[in-house]
Amino acid sequence: MDDKLFEILEYGVYGASILLILIGLYAVLTKRSLIKIVIGMSIIDGGIHLLLITIGYLKGGTAPIFSPGYEEAAAQMVDPVPQALVLTAIVIGFGVTAVALSLIIRLYRHHHTLEIDEIKRLKW
Amino acid sequence: MVGSPVLLIAIPLLAAFVIPLIGMIWKELVRIIPGLVLAYMLILSATLLYYVSYNGTIVETIAGWQAPWGINLVFSPLTGFLATLMSALGFLVWLFSYRFKRNVDFEPAKKYFIFLMLLIAGAIGIVITGDIFNQFVFIEITGISAYALTAFYTGRNSAEASFKYLMMGAMASSFLLVAIAILYSQLGTLNMADIASKMHTMNPTYKIIALIFFITGIGIEAEIFPLNGWAPDAYTEAPGPVGAAFAGIVVKAGVYAIIRMIFTLFDVPGAYDFLIAIGLITLIVAETSALRQEKLKRMLAYSSIGQMGLVIVAFGIGTHEGVFAALFLMLNHAVIKPLLFFSGSSLVFNSKKKQIAEMNGLGKRMPLMAAFFSLGAFAIVGLPPFAGFWSKLSVLSAAANEGLLLIIVLILIVSVIEIVYYFRVVNRIFFQEYSKEQSVVPHRPRINAMVAMFVLAIAILIIGFYPDAVTGILHNAAKDLMNTDQYINNVLQLGQSLTR
Amino acid sequence: MKKFLVILILAVLGFHLFEAFSGLGLGVTRFEKGVKDYYLEKTVSELHVANTVTSIVVNFRGFDTLGEVTVLFLAVSAMGGILYKRRHQTGDRSVLFSSSSIVRSGSKLLFPAIILLGVYVFIHGHLSPGGGFQGGAIIATGFLLMLIAYENFSVSHNTLSYIESFAGIFFVGIGLLGFMNGGTFLQNFLPAGVLNNLFSGGVIGIIYVMVGFKVAAELTGLIYTILHEKD
Repeated sequence: MDDKLFEILEYGVYGASILLILIGLYAVLTKRSLIKIVIGMSIIDGGIHLLLITIGYLKGGTAPIFSPGYEEAAAQMVDPVPQALVLTAIVIGFGVTAVALSLIIRLYRHHHTLEIDEIKRLKW
Repeated sequence: MVGSPVLLIAIPLLAAFVIPLIGMIWKELVRIIPGLVLAYMLILSATLLYYVSYNGTIVETIAGWQAPWGINLVFSPLTGFLATLMSALGFLVWLFSYRFKRNVDFEPAKKYFIFLMLLIAGAIGIVITGDIFNQFVFIEITGISAYALTAFYTGRNSAEASFKYLMMGAMASSFLLVAIAILYSQLGTLNMADIASKMHTMNPTYKIIALIFFITGIGIEAEIFPLNGWAPDAYTEAPGPVGAAFAGIVVKAGVYAIIRMIFTLFDVPGAYDFLIAIGLITLIVAETSALRQEKLKRMLAYSSIGQMGLVIVAFGIGTHEGVFAALFLMLNHAVIKPLLFFSGSSLVFNSKKKQIAEMNGLGKRMPLMAAFFSLGAFAIVGLPPFAGFWSKLSVLSAAANEGLLLIIVLILIVSVIEIVYYFRVVNRIFFQEYSKEQSVVPHRPRINAMVAMFVLAIAILIIGFYPDAVTGILHNAAKDLMNTDQYINNVLQLGQSLTR
Repeated sequence: MKKFLVILILAVLGFHLFEAFSGLGLGVTRFEKGVKDYYLEKTVSELHVANTVTSIVVNFRGFDTLGEVTVLFLAVSAMGGILYKRRHQTGDRSVLFSSSSIVRSGSKLLFPAIILLGVYVFIHGHLSPGGGFQGGAIIATGFLLMLIAYENFSVSHNTLSYIESFAGIFFVGIGLLGFMNGGTFLQNFLPAGVLNNLFSGGVIGIIYVMVGFKVAAELTGLIYTILHEKD
């Protein structure tokens, strides 16, 4: 019973993060409004960060903090390295989204529309 | 020694934080400080390269933890050569743009120099780091500086070009993160040398998946087909010197990252053939597109993409001669392309649409600029005795040594195409008549721009007439890339560590 | 037609990804000895820092944090540069509709509490979950609340620039100070203290406080730039 539950959890977590990535990719590839494209990029970032953290999970593990009373529990701690990587990746993703939104504001100033078909003037 | 490799990154960062403060005291300092920083970086990397050629690789640890538990920087003959090349080019780009557009307000000028300095520092960081997540962070630093520099002008097209670049760059970083996730989950470490030594224990399926994600991610920076859709727009809309910086500095960092993955980290069979195939496709598509262009900078952008495709083909050959030829091509491209961008942007400075058709008869009005442009054109198509001839010869001889006749034929065909579209421009400049209503008004460049172009022209002539001046460094670098075991030993046992 | 093609490609991609990752398994140990065991051990024995993630972010991989701080600085500068207009009037703001009285009185009460929470989070970064980035984001949220509720609440842009630059200079300066006593860049040169004390971990706590100030100043500046966008 416990193992079955854990298997459902495993498929669920990986499936959810991959589903987030796919939803974000769908938004980036098919939506026509620039804001929706940027939102899609954010969703992709969310999915990837979730995937990265899930890699480090240890079954029955606890947070990697040595509070008083837990000082010998190193063998049961989850992997702290992906958490540090995701901390950096979240900030970087935020920076890129900020620059993207400011570019959208400038595009709006010129064209007064946010549809991507009106804005594509540069040929291949 | 004047310092250690980490100062190549730390000093530009410090200067970037200091400039907004100092800008409030004296406005001219905003233009001077980046020049001083870039000059210091050039002297430091040249000195370190000289030291490394005789004494072996320098591995520097950060925060006192040895590899693989800490991050480390590797300054070897290969990475040192690339770092010196990038800082030299960065200094010349700064020199060219020192008095660029004096009528720009103070705020954008301050931001321009900060972004330029951090673009170069980020590219150098990609090259000298020894840790894959650190490389990802530096790719992002370079990327954001590039997006901001592309959108520098306030016209309608620059924001669009920058947005296209940003979207593809964001896709690239997402793919890179997935690849890092797969690698870390299998091997448990993020250090390049450690991954290289443990790679044989990894499941081959996961190896191939991780390699595909890596190549797709870094390939967007390195402009391989079909991931280079953003590149022509970005080069055209960016200011002239920034286009030179993209072509001469950023692309090389991307190609270096791909090469490091394939040569040192992954041992997937068939990766070299894949490099040859993708390089050939990039080369052919880019050069034939360059033939149809009407805008000068767009033509130069496509030509630059094509040259990088040739470099990748040379790397894909896989032997010592192939790697030597590829590095020689990179050196020549880094010296010739900025000269073409600089002189090209001076030639069409006063035109609104920057078309080639407007350049009729400028040879008599601006003789020096026309001479520089023609020198660059001759050198890049490979006419003897200019610099490009020797590098093309080494690629062809490396391919001949391996018996790859198809490559030789394709390279020769593409060279003919290059000659056609470059000589078309030279013909217009020298042999057509200047007409008041069709041609562009000549522009006299300032003294600092002339000096920068002059230095590049002298470099082209030196390499062309006396190639032995640089072949020693290139052979060292090629030997260093092919020798994976020595890389692992150097890093994991700290061959020449700088902990005093 | 195009949507159908996209869904098809995405389904194939998703299937392959799912297969690859579920082959990895959840919660199993996949490698014998990775770097994480070293980090978990050294953070107790040498650094005396309780929160392993903090010691990784600031000390073991501190160079990445320096790069990340630079990315944040670059993003905020790029926003200011891209949205630059001549004759920029800093007095007026774009306000769609004024806020109700509940928001006004509530935010006045909440604002000091939010700031206090943010400061607590980044000062105790090495003892409990949290740290500079998280605390800075909390403080910026407090400022955002006040900026939305009151139309004439303003923060001096110059002060924010000063804090940002000084914090950045301080971070790189501490890194360069690591060179003394024969160390390397960013090495810990203060005594490490006792585990679970406030003053433990040497330089780590100080760097994180600086990062907290920097992130708070930058995020507030960013919100401020966007709010002053008029047509």
